[in-house]
Amino acid sequence: MLNSIDKRVVELLNANLPEAKAVLKEVTVGHGSVTVSAEKILEVCQFLKQHEELKLRTLQVITGTDYPTVSEIEITYVLCSLEKNHELLLKVRVPRSKDVSDLNALPKVPSVVSVYAAANFQERECYDMLGVNFTGHPDLRRILCAEGWEGHPLRKDYVPAEKYLDMVINPAHKVNTEDHFFGKKLKEQMDNPKLVSWSWKDDSETTEESAGE
Amino acid sequence: MCPFFCNEFGAKMQDSVVLMKVDDFLNWGRKNSLWPMTFGLACCAIEMMATGAAKYDLERFGCGAFMATPRRADLMIVAGTVTLKMAPRIKTLFEQMPEPKYVISMGSCANKGGPYWQHGYHVLKGVDEIVPVDVYVPGCPPRPEALIEGLMTLQKKIANERLLKNKWVKHA
Repeated sequence: MLNSIDKRVVELLNANLPEAKAVLKEVTVGHGSVTVSAEKILEVCQFLKQHEELKLRTLQVITGTDYPTVSEIEITYVLCSLEKNHELLLKVRVPRSKDVSDLNALPKVPSVVSVYAAANFQERECYDMLGVNFTGHPDLRRILCAEGWEGHPLRKDYVPAEKYLDMVINPAHKVNTEDHFFGKKLKEQMDNPKLVSWSWKDDSETTEESAGE
Repeated sequence: MCPFFCNEFGAKMQDSVVLMKVDDFLNWGRKNSLWPMTFGLACCAIEMMATGAAKYDLERFGCGAFMATPRRADLMIVAGTVTLKMAPRIKTLFEQMPEPKYVISMGSCANKGGPYWQHGYHVLKGVDEIVPVDVYVPGCPPRPEALIEGLMTLQKKIANERLLKNKWVKHA
């Protein structure tokens, strides 16, 4: 179990960088996190890396989540200190834009590549998957999706393309659409529908119905 | 029996001469020296490596010389998920291979998209969309025995080909 340093980090940040507006989020299960304002993420990372008590010198991962209901994208930086044996979830939230056609239209977050070199590929992945413009990144281009790909697949409103370079992505003769409801049919056939475990969204209603029976 | 062999000379010759079609001879050589291309896409490639390694030993079937270039290979084992990013590269590699060339589609992903069949926005639904496939090996991933059976199926297919006849004997 890693030592929790969330409270101490918020104290230090509010004392030294009040403009970052660090907010502590405590949870009973899982890991707590610290949310800071997106414009100050570079300064916050610099501070956390150089502080003698924290020594958060390793960036483990940068990942993101799309929240279309509140129209925000949350980016999570997982920092850790191998010397002090502690870990920190640092989060920023930026307003999400519907228009993803242009780099300028995307939500902007300052890049932390100048502090953590490991952020280079991580930020490229986050840009590729969620459409976040990391300003000041030395080489911001797609890392996983193919060249000339349109859209950002991890956004909840992403619609898969029909074609890519003359290749049909979902040819009708290849995709057995009847099997999309395989679990639903199985539940109808089984004497005890509760024995069928199926977690896809199309069948969630059926699960509730059969549970009520 | 031809009169040539019905004497003392013929009796000696019978022990040292094999009579067969040139096509059969060429096929025998081709099917027992298939050189696959060193080319793995995903987890099926791990099974392909296991098949090539000591325990299952693909070399027993003359198929162990994994070539590092498509120019020297005559078999492409598509082992793994074919993403849309990879698909044009696979097509290029296939076109770089000299004729006659064969393709084994290994595993569910290469056959038909595998687990990415409904929500796979980035996966090609089967490698046969871009290259002609000779043998499909089902499994996720297939056991080494399954790949070996696929290879033996391909060898049977090659043994029945008539390359010379099709090329030079018109209206045969």
